Amino acid sequence: MEIRNKLELRNISKIFLTRKSYSVAIQQVDLEVRENEFLVLLGPGQCGKTVLLNIVAGLLEQTTGEICIDGAPYSGLNNQIGFIFQSIGIMPWLTVRDNVAIGPKFAGKNKKERYEIAQKNIDLVRLTGFEKHFPRQLSGGMKQRVGIARAYANNPEILLMDEPFGQLDAQTRYAMQDEILRIWNENKRTVIFVTNNIEEAVYLGDRIVLFSSRPMQVKGVYDLTSLERPRDYTDEDFLEIRQKISDNMDLVLE
Amino acid sequence: MKGRKRKDILLNLLPLVSILLFILAWLVVSGGESSLIPTPTAVFERYLKLLEKPISKTSIPGHIWASLKRVLLGLLYGSVFGISFGLLIGWNKTCNRIFKPLFELIRPIPALAWIPLMTLWLGIGETSKVALVFLGTIMPITVNTYTGVRLIPKINIDAARVFGANNVQIITDIVLPSSLSAIIAGVKTALGTAWMVVLAAEMISAKTGLGFMIIRGTDVLDLPLVIFAMILIGVIGACISSLLTIVERKLCPWKSEIN
Amino acid sequence: MQNNKKTEQIELEVRRYRAIEKRSRLWDILLGALSILAFLVIWQILCTFEVVDAKFLASPLDVIRTIAVKVADPKPEGNTLFVNIFASFQLALTGFLLAALIGMPLGLLMGWYKPIDKLVRPVFEIIRPLPPIAWIPIIIVLLGIGTVAKSFIIFFTTFVPILINAYTGIRETSQVHINFARTCGYSNWRIFLTVGIPSAMPLTFAGMRIALGNGWSTLIAAEMLAANKGLGYMITMGRTYGRVDIIIAGMLVIGVIGLLLSGAIGKLENVVLKWKVKK
Repeated sequence: MEIRNKLELRNISKIFLTRKSYSVAIQQVDLEVRENEFLVLLGPGQCGKTVLLNIVAGLLEQTTGEICIDGAPYSGLNNQIGFIFQSIGIMPWLTVRDNVAIGPKFAGKNKKERYEIAQKNIDLVRLTGFEKHFPRQLSGGMKQRVGIARAYANNPEILLMDEPFGQLDAQTRYAMQDEILRIWNENKRTVIFVTNNIEEAVYLGDRIVLFSSRPMQVKGVYDLTSLERPRDYTDEDFLEIRQKISDNMDLVLE
Repeated sequence: MKGRKRKDILLNLLPLVSILLFILAWLVVSGGESSLIPTPTAVFERYLKLLEKPISKTSIPGHIWASLKRVLLGLLYGSVFGISFGLLIGWNKTCNRIFKPLFELIRPIPALAWIPLMTLWLGIGETSKVALVFLGTIMPITVNTYTGVRLIPKINIDAARVFGANNVQIITDIVLPSSLSAIIAGVKTALGTAWMVVLAAEMISAKTGLGFMIIRGTDVLDLPLVIFAMILIGVIGACISSLLTIVERKLCPWKSEIN
Repeated sequence: MQNNKKTEQIELEVRRYRAIEKRSRLWDILLGALSILAFLVIWQILCTFEVVDAKFLASPLDVIRTIAVKVADPKPEGNTLFVNIFASFQLALTGFLLAALIGMPLGLLMGWYKPIDKLVRPVFEIIRPLPPIAWIPIIIVLLGIGTVAKSFIIFFTTFVPILINAYTGIRETSQVHINFARTCGYSNWRIFLTVGIPSAMPLTFAGMRIALGNGWSTLIAAEMLAANKGLGYMITMGRTYGRVDIIIAGMLVIGVIGLLLSGAIGKLENVVLKWKVKK
């Protein structure tokens, strides 16, 4: 079976200008993302992973390099790319249902259609019954589930997740990791997941791309497809890979 | 436990105590032989007399409505302009660069300082009064709208763009709801200013209205009338303010209660 | 070799960005200046070519000339410019200072100690909905049109926002800070002084700025109703004597002084707060 590259990044760099000089956030990154894989981008905090994700999503423009989807280069925002934000970013003035339906709404679908889509995705993330609730009435984990439902509702081919569980407590985090895998299994699509947590990366990823600290470069690519799912944090093989990655990772005290 | 209960009861008695003291003070101050301040009974009697013999051939509700109409009309125009203008300079960078300096130039001039100029241009009728209220209300409303737009969390705009919103949709679906509570706060402030402007304008030249009532009373030293008008003004001001708070709660159901 | 070429590429990009940035910043300033200039030019043209009747609008140049003249000339209402400015300024300041001296401590105490709050609140809530302007006539009847009466009016106007903001400010004191002070063994009074008051300062200063703005505005109104000097009196007399230039000149001066006053509070705030933040 031929493995297609859904997404390709070539020679991506990003430079930010400060008042007196400049800082290189990303330095010449090449990346290949396979179709329907769960790819994890792992790196120390503040290394530039979010910047890279924003560039792929079209929210930021890269300084050099190009991005290709299905072999064709593109730039800017793309409806085929969904995004789940670290600080969730659901609209506080909308109900859960209206939040999830926001993608279809912008695409011009009528109320009946988009509420159907919303309902399907609310059920998918197991928030049935909370359709009319406002974000302030939800817990952190629930809010992020709305974020996930919202991204899925737009039916994107590529899903970007920017440390989506970073703001949740440990318990919820573990639960959400299983949730995201379950949802991904039910609806296979290409996922790029950013995290700074090694365990989370080894638990979730088909492949892991390890990044250095700024200026960000690829330090290594690890293929975990041989590790069977569901994975076990205490499994021997799990710990072995974890150790290998950990040794290679830059330690950064912010 | 018992001690605490006692303390609570005492605490809740205090407001009553202070109101009683206030009424007492009023009675004392107005009781003296040569006192100019009218007693509460004098004010009430004046009210009854007003029912029989209205001022300027206008009933009490008539005067109330005269003032209220000026306030509401001016507030309406001011809101429409202020919100649109605030959104414009808040959202569009170019418009901001062009129009904001002009706005900041006019802003420091207090609304009341416009009275001589406005009465010169538009006379002393309804138009000049509504125009004055308009001028007074556009300042706070524009500023609040503009600030509300600037304080929109970038992440909400990013999310909207990622999920396919075009520029118009961003303004109607993200910018407006997000800045709504700031806008309403601006309208509340503008209401206070509007009230003030109307009263001042009525005191300077008018034939109807609550401000006019006050000046009429002052001119003939009919102090019970003045106090009566002041009470009316206070009550109506409080009512409108509460109404606005209710409207805010209806329009922004997602906001948590501020205790 | 590869590395050098790549660094070169980056440096070029950076330089390109910088140039664009500089150009856009210049353009921004230019737009702002141009719009004000355009406004003034149009205004001047309207007057010079009598598009608008001279009795309704005075040109910018006329206004400037009037201000210069008024510095020495007491016409038409009998006071030179600085007499008017000083009269208004003095009244505003005395009323404001008094209100700050009474309102701030009272607001802080009310926010901290429940009994005081319960006692003062009802009377306060009765007085609050009344716009200060409504008080002007009755105060004039009782106290005349002199300095005392007007200072009282200004006191009234500025008192309310200062009190409310001091009250709100201290109520928002972080519970974490209070608890920490308690673990250090501080008494309630001491916590009030060392934790409550400093954390209430930002809002209190905001309240003072609002108060000064309101007070300045109300003062002008009071002077329009009953006075024989002051800026409000000046512009009302300008209307009476048909001198549009005096009116506009007066409005300008009123605006400028209002700005200076709130700027002064801003400066004061920086001085006081910088110290508090260090604490």
